Amino acid sequence: MTVAAGIGYALLALGPSLSLFVAVISQKPFLILTVLSSTLLWLMSLIVLAGVWRAFLPFKTTPSSSAWLPYSILILSSVVFQEGLRVLFWRIYKKLEDILDAFADRVSKPRLFLTDKMQIALAGGMGHGVAHAVFFCLSLLTPAFGPATFYVEKCSQMPFFLVSSMIALAFVTIHTFSMVIAFNGYAEGNRVDQLIVPVVHLVAGMLTLVNLASGGCIIGIPLLYCMALFTLLHCGKMVWKRLADSQNR
Amino acid sequence: MDQNQKPTSLLDTIGEEIIRILTPVSICMFLVVILVSILNNSSDSSGPSITTIASIAYSEDSSDSIWDKLKGALLNSLVFVAVVTVVTFLLVLLFYLRCTKFLKYYMGFSAFLVLGFIGGEIAVFVIKDLSFPIDAVTFMVVLFNFTVVGVLATFMENFAIFIKQGYLVVVGMLVAYWFTLLPEWTTWVLLVAMALYDLAAVLLPGGPLRLLVELAISRDEDIPALVYEARPVTDHDSVPSNGEVQRRVWRERRHIESDFIDNVEASSESNPVGSNTSNASRVSGMSLSLETNERERNLVAAEEGRVATLDSELSAPLIQHRIDVQLNLQEGPSDNSALEGIGLGSSGAIKLGLGDFIFYSVLVGRAAMYDFMTVYACYLAIIAGLGITLMLLAFYQKALPALPVSVLLGVLFYLLTRLLLENFVVQCSINLLMF
Repeated sequence: MTVAAGIGYALLALGPSLSLFVAVISQKPFLILTVLSSTLLWLMSLIVLAGVWRAFLPFKTTPSSSAWLPYSILILSSVVFQEGLRVLFWRIYKKLEDILDAFADRVSKPRLFLTDKMQIALAGGMGHGVAHAVFFCLSLLTPAFGPATFYVEKCSQMPFFLVSSMIALAFVTIHTFSMVIAFNGYAEGNRVDQLIVPVVHLVAGMLTLVNLASGGCIIGIPLLYCMALFTLLHCGKMVWKRLADSQNR
Repeated sequence: MDQNQKPTSLLDTIGEEIIRILTPVSICMFLVVILVSILNNSSDSSGPSITTIASIAYSEDSSDSIWDKLKGALLNSLVFVAVVTVVTFLLVLLFYLRCTKFLKYYMGFSAFLVLGFIGGEIAVFVIKDLSFPIDAVTFMVVLFNFTVVGVLATFMENFAIFIKQGYLVVVGMLVAYWFTLLPEWTTWVLLVAMALYDLAAVLLPGGPLRLLVELAISRDEDIPALVYEARPVTDHDSVPSNGEVQRRVWRERRHIESDFIDNVEASSESNPVGSNTSNASRVSGMSLSLETNERERNLVAAEEGRVATLDSELSAPLIQHRIDVQLNLQEGPSDNSALEGIGLGSSGAIKLGLGDFIFYSVLVGRAAMYDFMTVYACYLAIIAGLGITLMLLAFYQKALPALPVSVLLGVLFYLLTRLLLENFVVQCSINLLMF
C-alpha cells in the first residue's frame, strides 16, 4: 500500500490514542512513564504467550474441520493470562501509590487526588491499548509498503490492513477504558466492576473468532464496536458517579 | 474544596528529569531508524559496507556457515574492545597528566570529523537516494557551516543549550548510523562485548573508567567528554526563597564553597571537551582511529544533593541542584529545604554519555534492518533498561555503566521478538483474531 494509505491506517488505529496522549498524558511526565512501562508489561505478556504457543502454531486444519477449537483455546488462554497480569499490575500500582504518598508527605505536597489516580489508570490502560495496536496492526503495515495491497479471502470487502486497523481501534478503546474500570473496581472493592472487565475482554476476544467464517467480519466488527461503546459508557458513568460522590463528601 | 483551584498535584512534576533524558534518546533512535529505512530500501544487501577497526579481523560473507560467522564476529569484537581499552587507558593517562586542554581540542576536532566527514557522506547517500537536486558548491557551503556551528556548540561552554543538545543528538545519530553499516553478526556480538566491557571498566577496581571518575572526583573537575546533559528542572516550590541551589559532589559530602566557580563554568550547560569518535580507516582514505568517548559514554554520572542523612533507602541520588553562575556560595548546606525523597527529585539534571546514545541507536537501527516489530520491542527494552539503571543509580549512588542492562535487554527482546512473537502475531492477525 502507499505511504499515504499506510499513515492513514496507522492513524485510524492510533489516532484517538494520539490525541489522548497529547491532551492528557504528555502534560504530566509521570503518566508518560506509566504508558511506557505498561506497554512494556503487555509486550512481555505477548512474548510469553507467543513462547507458549510457538510449538502449536500454525494450526493444521483439514478442509473439513475449521480451526475453531484451537483458536478459541488460544484466545481463552491469552485473555485469562492477560487478566491475571492486570491484577498483578494493580498490586504494583498499589505499592507505587504508597511510595508516592509517602514522598508527597515528605515534601509537604498534597497526596494523590482521585483524578490523579484515574489518570494513572488511564495511562496504564493506554499502554495496553497501544501495545495491542502496535504489535497487532502497525508492525504489519511497514513491510507492506509498495504497490498493491492485500486482501484476506474471509473478509474480502476491504483490504486486510483496513480491517485490522478497525479492529485495533475497537480494542484500544476497550483496553484503555477497562483499565480505569478495573482499577476503580479494585480500589472500591466493587465486585461488578471487577468482573465486568475480564468478561468484556473475553467476549471481545471471542467475537473475533467470528472472523474465521467467510464474511464473518461484517458481523464481528460492528459487535466489537458495540463492546467498545459499552466499555466507554460504563467507564464514563462510573467516573461521573465517583467524582460526584467525592465532591459531595 | 472548590475543584477549580486545587493546588498543583504531585503528579505534575514527578518524573520530569527522566523524561528530559528519555526524549533525546528516543529522538536519536527515531532518527537512526528513519535513516536506516531510507537508505536501506534501495540496496537490499547490507548497503555500503565499510572497513573499520571493527571489521578488520574478519569480513562477513553471507555464504559462511553460522559457526564461521560467530567466530569471525567474536574476533572482530575482541579486536575492537582491545583497541577501546587501550585508548581509554591512554585517556586516563592524559587526564592524570592534566592535559585537559589537549583533550578539549581533541573533542572539538572529533566533532568536526564526525559532522563534516561522516555527516557529509551520509548526506551524499541520502541525496543520491532521494534524487535531491543540489549542486556541489551549495552542499559544501551548507555542510561547512553546519560543521563549524557544531564544533563551536560542543566546544564553548555558554552556548545556547538547545542547539548544543541538538548537535549532540546529531553526532550520536551519525556515528550510530555508521556503526549499523557493519555486518550483522559483528554488530550484535560487538554490542554485547561493549556492554560487558562497560560493566568491567566501570565497576572493576582497575577499570579505566572507574579510575577516570575517581580522578575527576578527587580533583573535583568535570571529565572532558561529550556528555548529554538534560536541562535541570527548577522547582519553584521547594527551592529556598533566594533561589539559590547548591551542588554537591555525590561521593563526598564536602561543602563546595571553594572550587565552585570553575565547576560552575565547566558544568553550566555542557561538559564539552574531549570525545573521540570511533572511526577507522574509512573508504575515503582517512586513517584515523579514535575512540568513542569511552569515559563518559558509560557513565550515568548523576550527582546528588542529599541534605538529610536519614532514610537512605529513599534518598535522592538523582537530585542535583544546579548553581546559578552569579550566585555566591557562602552558604553551606544549611538549607534543609532542598530536596530529598525518591530519586525523582524535582531539581536535578541527569547526564548521559554520548556513547550510550550511540550504542542504543545502533541496536535499534540494526533491529530496523529486520522489521519494525523488533524496533518497537527493542525500543521498549532499552527504555526499560535505562529506567532500571537510573533506579540502580538511586540505590548505589555511584557512577554506573549505562550500557549493560539496556543492551542486554535489547538483544534479548530482539531475539525473543524475532523468534517467537512475530510468528504468533502474524498467525493471529492473518486470521483477524485479536485479543
